[in-house]
Amino acid sequence: MVFESTYGWGEIRMGLDRIMLTAVLCLFALGLISIFSAGVGVMSSNATNVLKQAVWGVFSAVVYVVILRIGYQNFVRAGYWIYGGSIVMLVVLLLTGSASRGAVSWFRIGSVGFQPSELGKVALILAMSRFCSRYPPDTLKRLVISLLITGVSVGLILLQPDLGSSLVYCAIIFAILTVAGAPGKYLGGLVLAGVFAVPFFWQTLKEYQRLRLKVFLDPYIDPQGAGYNVIQSRIAVGSGGLWGKGFLRGTQGRLHFLPEPHTDFIFSVYAEEFGFIGAVIVIVLFSVLFWRILRAAFRTKDIRAKLICVGVVAWTWFQVMESVAMSMGLAPITGLPLPLFSYGGSSLLMTAVGLALAQSVAISPVRGKLTMVVSQ
Amino acid sequence: MYKALDLFDIDQRLIYVRNIFIFSLSLLIIGLVYFQLVKADEYVELASGNRLRMVRILPPRGNIYDASGVPLAVNVRTFDIKGYPMDLRKEEDFERISSLFVRHGIPMTPNGLKESVEKQYVAPYRAVSVATNLTLAQIADLVMDSDFSEALFPSPVWRRIYPGGALVAHVIGYVGEITRDELEDQRDLYYQAGDIIGKNGVEAMYEEDLRGVVGDQVVEVDSRGRRLRDVNYNDPQKGEDVRLTLDLAAQREAARLMEGRRGAIVAMDVNDGSVLAFLSSPTFDPNPLTWGISSKEWDALREDKDKPMMNRVIGGAYPPGSTFKVVTASAVLMEKVANTRSTVFCPGNFQLGPQTFRCWRRSGHGTESLLGAFRDSCDVYFYQMSLKVGIDKLTEWGQELGVGERTGIDLPGESRGVRAGREWKRSRFGESWYQGDTVNYSIGQGFLLMTPMQLARVFAVFANGGRLVTPRLNTDKTPESKKVGVSRENVDFINKSLREVVERGTGRAAGGYGAAVAGKTGTAQNPHGDDHAWFVGYAPASNPRYVAAVLVEGGGSGSSTAGPLAAQMLSYLLEHD
Repeated sequence: MVFESTYGWGEIRMGLDRIMLTAVLCLFALGLISIFSAGVGVMSSNATNVLKQAVWGVFSAVVYVVILRIGYQNFVRAGYWIYGGSIVMLVVLLLTGSASRGAVSWFRIGSVGFQPSELGKVALILAMSRFCSRYPPDTLKRLVISLLITGVSVGLILLQPDLGSSLVYCAIIFAILTVAGAPGKYLGGLVLAGVFAVPFFWQTLKEYQRLRLKVFLDPYIDPQGAGYNVIQSRIAVGSGGLWGKGFLRGTQGRLHFLPEPHTDFIFSVYAEEFGFIGAVIVIVLFSVLFWRILRAAFRTKDIRAKLICVGVVAWTWFQVMESVAMSMGLAPITGLPLPLFSYGGSSLLMTAVGLALAQSVAISPVRGKLTMVVSQ
Repeated sequence: MYKALDLFDIDQRLIYVRNIFIFSLSLLIIGLVYFQLVKADEYVELASGNRLRMVRILPPRGNIYDASGVPLAVNVRTFDIKGYPMDLRKEEDFERISSLFVRHGIPMTPNGLKESVEKQYVAPYRAVSVATNLTLAQIADLVMDSDFSEALFPSPVWRRIYPGGALVAHVIGYVGEITRDELEDQRDLYYQAGDIIGKNGVEAMYEEDLRGVVGDQVVEVDSRGRRLRDVNYNDPQKGEDVRLTLDLAAQREAARLMEGRRGAIVAMDVNDGSVLAFLSSPTFDPNPLTWGISSKEWDALREDKDKPMMNRVIGGAYPPGSTFKVVTASAVLMEKVANTRSTVFCPGNFQLGPQTFRCWRRSGHGTESLLGAFRDSCDVYFYQMSLKVGIDKLTEWGQELGVGERTGIDLPGESRGVRAGREWKRSRFGESWYQGDTVNYSIGQGFLLMTPMQLARVFAVFANGGRLVTPRLNTDKTPESKKVGVSRENVDFINKSLREVVERGTGRAAGGYGAAVAGKTGTAQNPHGDDHAWFVGYAPASNPRYVAAVLVEGGGSGSSTAGPLAAQMLSYLLEHD
């Protein structure tokens, strides 16, 4: 494997998309505020989550810069290896991991947990970008091959079982295939196949997962209090009104009407305290982020880079959609983190890696020459 | 060969995908407009007096019955006073409530109340108990008080009582409030702080059957915390009943026999392992434990020198003394170091190098065969034979007969005892195993430790023709047994020897109580005081049905103390079925 030369500080400074970076930093800062707010309860207040998240933030920033120095090209080249490594981790996890909240999705080293499914997202994007730029999925055979390769990771995630993450994987795969040139009729066929798989899939779900989905259809049927969460989250968002109740003034989160306020329901906590204005600001910030990443995709001539950008956007977009819609009771509870917002080290770190790869694509044109794929 | 991707085509597709992203994000904003602007007033209203409250309704536990249907653990209705943490936040709330209770004769301090509320806290809208175990009269008295806070409400709860009291304490165990560790270790998230959980005995063993299914009540309250209506109600479901093989009447007989003694009696069916009597003496009354006793009373119970909390039947490990000779004999016969006609001369002691090992009878037994050695409990015979067998084979046959293994009885806290052996001694003391250790081992002394339950199980093998049964207390549990490697011929010979012991030997004191008993006495040296007296036997000798193991701590001689107790226990069981 031949590696390309790394990027110098000068190149990074010249090519850096400052708007993209600013959006990322603003979102992370708002996330920290929300995590702090979620930790302040009636009986106790707890700032440890914020501190931990800040430490993860610093670590993620370092990783971000390192990736900019290395350049996305080298990551794509190592794409198959990284993907293989993530598959190995997922298998090892399934064989050795212990269940938490009904799913085996964590490696624990001391007090630090790591979710291989997060690493898997980046690995999937890198591997697919490499594969689909070399073998565009424009024939049925190639499409099937790329689906088989990616299906391995989706299958392993479903075995955990982590329904939410597997949907993110599907969004990434579908977006990359679409952009890489999969014919419309095949893509339509994929969607249809997905729809027909639903009844079969329902059988494989665990009871608590079915309950979440049923509760989404009708929160008031709830036998166990799961629908209660949906209603309470909707009350939190709705009662925020135009301006919100103000920082640390939200009652829904404070009084623990919201379950998992610092992770799954972080947006509800935020929207209650900062209202419609605050919520729209977050959505606009994410939109700016997506706009800048896709802008980088348009500007580069490297197909791999374009596909990376699409993958990263599809990933974060899906989690934003799910997280925000869930907070309003418009999507079932899947436990997906809101990128850059939710408390959680591995999610934050891997989001930073994905965004750094996109930033690296934005920087790459300063090389003054086009980095074409040359296959030998 | 592959077709190069058309950059223009890709960018067209990128635009298409981008439009989907933009469109979907704008849908989110429409959703926010609807909930945060259009419907905001409605939700503000709902949030300001979040009016939903949840009460967990604990189910009554399943009852526990003895073999003939006599209740051993049942529930009675009492009352808790509950409240919601969100209504109990201010210091003066705690002071007002505790002074109200004190006025009505119920002890409570503001700090204690606050601690208790914080301990049970899950969410502000989930009720916690403020006071527990109140009678209907106390509730009526409290509610009539004009100071009775609207934030409080009485809630009926079930309390466990044990009609059998101390008689069955070691079998039934007791329930108590769940501890922090138990809460953290739970797998199915069934429990919350303040819940009741089985702590010991059958109550702990069959916790998942007994506990039932928790009910839930969601109520809407007004701004002052008064209940307006039920939003949702799920009935709690009573736990499953458990019916034991234990017979309360036999248990009473066992208690009569053990009165004033420290020790244990256990009796079981030799064929299916049903335990009919299971008494550890002294015992304790489990009733106060379930209602919550002070730490002083608890310490007194735990530190009592007679250890009433200790379950001697399965948790007490003692040297088995001469009762162990059935195991040594099995090894001797199966390893063919002697046959039933081989003899040993007993001069009253045995010389091994510089060491002298005495027979219990100083003057010696003269020439003894295995049958005679059993009958007279001659030690020298077993000393000599054990050296021919060797410790490795002895422990191997011990393991085959369940020595040093849990019996598998359906109770928690069972001890394995100590089977010892070469490896064990090396890892424990860093010393090698000496021949003298083997000599001691052969008559159930030295490092060897067994529980009364283990011995009853060993003897059942010779009573039922060679099967090692698993003792059981729950009638729903399928009887289990496994064939042991001792040949039928040798099992029958040992059975014959055990009959000889009671008919003409050291176990004569076990005769004359009505039942034809076969068994073995044991007098185990106790480094801490008087010898422990053992008798393990079964009856009727011709067609054995029940086995009983009796241990009297510091009881002196096995033949005079323990033999008659076992015989009476067995006679009782045969008379009353």
